[in-house]
Amino acid sequence: MSSTDKTVLASAGFHGDVLTLVKRIGVRMQNYEYQHRKPMSTPACAQMLATMLYGKRFFPYYTYNILAGLDADGKGCVFSYDPVGSYEREHYRAAGTASALLQPFLDNQARALARIPDYIGRKNQQGVVFEPISKERAMTIIKDVFTSAAERDIYTGDAVDIRIVTKDGLEEHRFPLRCD
Amino acid sequence: MDFLIALVGKDFVLTAADSASARSIMRMKSDMDKMIPLSSHALMLLAGPVGDCSNFGDYIQANLKLQALTNGFEASTHATANYVRKNIADALRSRGAYQVNSLIAGVDEQDGPSLYYLDYLGTMVKVPYGAHGYGSFFTFATLDHHYREGMSLEEATDVLKKCFLEIKTRFLMNLDSFKVRVVDADGIREVEVAQP
Amino acid sequence: MSIMEYNGSAVVAMTGKECVAIAADRRLGAQAQTVSTDFQKVFQMGPKLFVGLPGLGTDAITVSQRLKFRLNMYTLREERDIEPKTMINLVSSFLYERRFGPYFVEPVVAGLDSKNQPYVASTDLIGCPMETSDFVVGGTSSEQLYGMCESLYKPDMAPDDLFETISQALMNAVDRDCLAGWGAIVHIIEKDKITTRELKARMD
Repeated sequence: MSSTDKTVLASAGFHGDVLTLVKRIGVRMQNYEYQHRKPMSTPACAQMLATMLYGKRFFPYYTYNILAGLDADGKGCVFSYDPVGSYEREHYRAAGTASALLQPFLDNQARALARIPDYIGRKNQQGVVFEPISKERAMTIIKDVFTSAAERDIYTGDAVDIRIVTKDGLEEHRFPLRCD
Repeated sequence: MDFLIALVGKDFVLTAADSASARSIMRMKSDMDKMIPLSSHALMLLAGPVGDCSNFGDYIQANLKLQALTNGFEASTHATANYVRKNIADALRSRGAYQVNSLIAGVDEQDGPSLYYLDYLGTMVKVPYGAHGYGSFFTFATLDHHYREGMSLEEATDVLKKCFLEIKTRFLMNLDSFKVRVVDADGIREVEVAQP
Repeated sequence: MSIMEYNGSAVVAMTGKECVAIAADRRLGAQAQTVSTDFQKVFQMGPKLFVGLPGLGTDAITVSQRLKFRLNMYTLREERDIEPKTMINLVSSFLYERRFGPYFVEPVVAGLDSKNQPYVASTDLIGCPMETSDFVVGGTSSEQLYGMCESLYKPDMAPDDLFETISQALMNAVDRDCLAGWGAIVHIIEKDKITTRELKARMD
């Protein structure tokens, strides 16, 4: 996981490619700041990552990426990618070896209604009061989801790094998972 | 390239099969019958290699006839479908499998009209409408949209015509001759449906 | 294309407090083409015993019929209902007979034993049994089901809770699997009654 104070990249897959990719993104973000005298916005970074991944279309980075941060309006944004740069702005996404385990749970517990971006709905549930998802609730969901992944996915590790991007800056947490 | 289709109506089953017989890229004839009656009120539609279809069709027909003679009554559509399924499933795990996909349409005194979808693996399921072959990719959407439970023969024929039209407009191959049959309380009869 | 994924399926079973539930989707497909949305994958094998057969459709039918036959022979000889524990052994030995030409199904057994204690277990396609105290899953959506069950499940749920949990687990799992879904059926087994419900699910 790599981040500036407004943008966070989570990257799973082949670690060698992850390191190279993060390094190259860092270089380009630095150059951008020198040339434009402002840090790169999250949506701009998302577009850049897509072109970088597609640039290696026929010898791809073996990485599954999720980019998160705040957009120009200060709203939260999540961008998900495939290894060759197809990307999409979403409200939540799971990636990596345990993505099949996590994604349906997110659908159920943290699904954002596309037409009401600030509100959170719940798939397959009736009579739910739609309410904005709080930071605490988001943390709980993430911890639960990783606990489940660690339980069944052999490739999920011993701890989870959590970063929270707010307008006031970046928070970092580390949450231990089952150590086997 | 065979195409079979059937739908259950109020008190009948409407079935259709293309009547082309092809060898490689050549059409050998345009009046082949891909249906075989299994009893007075049950009809089987077959798709696959012609050898397998005719051999399997005849074998099933003869055995059901023998059963009807020994038992003194004809088997129900459900029993017939299960008998066909067992033969396909048993053959699948022996030296030679029958590569036949089929639809079994029948009308019973108690259960009314029914249609069974069977594939060459022996998968069997009772359906309101079914289709086999490349044509099924084009016609299932039409059937999903226009099929209603308890349709009259006229309504069902209209839906069938829509399916034929879909095949004509979207399918690469020229499937223009179909044999259409109805199974109802009076038995099996052929009906003329104008080609689009 | 794996033969286990030809028709598409999802089956899950869960234990509760003096109750057990088994649920399955209802789709039958031929790869990506949906043929039926009314295909039976769960079979009642006793007054308080169910077997789910996810996998290849034709083998689900064949295995259900052959298991029913063996079960009838057992019941006739023993003059009593089979225990779920015995059922899983029957399933296991039946499948292992075909070790080198298997039936392509992953049976899931759910039931209450003679002391009304919940029991769930499953086997692989050649009959390797696996007993668990919480839940078992099978079919093309098994990864999604593991994720759902692992986070939603808690021990000793009442029948109502168990129904809601298993339904949510199944529905949200199949919504992320192209090959399964198109309706669902849930059986809740209690000591004095069985409740069967058909779920109104996404049909796309």
